[in-house]
Amino acid sequence: MDFHFNKEDLQDGRLDFHRFVLLFTHSFSDRLRFIGELELEHAFVEGFEKAGELELEQAYLDVLVARSVNVRAGMLLVPVGIINERHEPPVYYGVERPFVDTVIVPSTWFEAGAGVHGEVGRGVRYRAYVMSPLDAARFGAEEGVRGGRQKGANANVGRPAATGRVEWVGHPGLALGGSFWTGRSGFEFRPRFEVPVTLFEVDARYAPTDRIETRAQFAQISIDRAGELNDTLTRQTGVNPNIARSLRGFYLEAGYRVVSGAQAGEVGVFGRYENFDTQRRMPDGYLPLKQFDRDSWTVGAAYWPDPDVAVKIDYTFLRNQSEVVKAANMFNIGLGWWF
Amino acid sequence: MVVLMRQLRLGYLPSLGAIVTALVAQSPGLGLAQTGPVETVEIRVERFSFTPSQIRIAAGTTVDLRIRSEDTNHGFRVIGSDIDIVVPKRGRGTATVRFRAERPGEYVFECSKLCGAGHSFMRGTIVVTEGGR
Repeated sequence: MDFHFNKEDLQDGRLDFHRFVLLFTHSFSDRLRFIGELELEHAFVEGFEKAGELELEQAYLDVLVARSVNVRAGMLLVPVGIINERHEPPVYYGVERPFVDTVIVPSTWFEAGAGVHGEVGRGVRYRAYVMSPLDAARFGAEEGVRGGRQKGANANVGRPAATGRVEWVGHPGLALGGSFWTGRSGFEFRPRFEVPVTLFEVDARYAPTDRIETRAQFAQISIDRAGELNDTLTRQTGVNPNIARSLRGFYLEAGYRVVSGAQAGEVGVFGRYENFDTQRRMPDGYLPLKQFDRDSWTVGAAYWPDPDVAVKIDYTFLRNQSEVVKAANMFNIGLGWWF
Repeated sequence: MVVLMRQLRLGYLPSLGAIVTALVAQSPGLGLAQTGPVETVEIRVERFSFTPSQIRIAAGTTVDLRIRSEDTNHGFRVIGSDIDIVVPKRGRGTATVRFRAERPGEYVFECSKLCGAGHSFMRGTIVVTEGGR
């Protein structure tokens, strides 16, 4: 559960019950499992996502064959980045997820698909899936590929995407990961033309002691034929979406528990620097919108009265490279819990 | 303080020849009286991994698996046995499971308490080898 108060500069504050999540699991046997995750976003659902969304983020069967190879099929989380598969509010600092995990890696990113996963050696884990691809007709300048998620809703799979992740969790407190996603996303257009999209991502988490946790993530997206994509969408809608051919973002985060192990709970402080640009490289004939070349500092604190309950507060200083459009800083308070 | 102690019968897993004892302690350093040498393996648990996730012991060795969570409650279940305990939340203590296998084989363990979106990734293996590791 994730309940937020957000206030941008020069705007009124807003209260938002951002996420209400129900998880289900059932074991048909020791080798055949079901996992389901149903999420209500923004508390209230009406047509065309004007208010909230009801999302089936996970619903899959796992066939557990061996440690090294298992089979999975259904609605799956795309195995990219730190947050997308590990997004319970008490496990990350900050009221809102990092910008990089929103406009570069479009979490929560889930699609219908199937694949294999397993572990080899001492802590080397992998997953490799084929999934429904992104829809390039809904890409944008500000949020990149985020609008293109099909979310398993009668999704086009004429040319399935491929995705995978390898991570190493063999040393206590350390997790290293790398992910990719590649697919052809132009299926909406007639005559059809291919829009190959490739995402590459690396990340690390390191907690050398009970008090310290650090994170880093880098992600980059390439969109081939972005010029033709812009031309086509401009002809269809009359509006130039100004989609880039390259998007990039990274962040560095450090957190420290100033109170640890106390009966009344734990207190941590953190800082995060992010740099993210959804207009990094433009196709010939298109100029970047500098307001989408952004960086931010987020500083804040969290209080855990219980390891499964987090009260968070933070302030984000957001900047961009535009001389015309000013970025709005943001003050946030959040309450997150899990059971 | 010992809050749970279980002694499984000899031959509970006749096909694997395992003898398993489990106990959960809320403070470190507690255990059962020993009749032979006991090895200890520390396991750190967090969403969504056990570290280490592969443990190698020689047949006939008794090992105490001391399991500590970095976040929420997790479960620790050894498939094919009746070991299925709760690992306390961060800061609430350590769960200890005593494990002994007379014959070589692979024993799969997993998180048995739904702990989040990646719960199903939480698996590991105890590899019992013939002699040395």
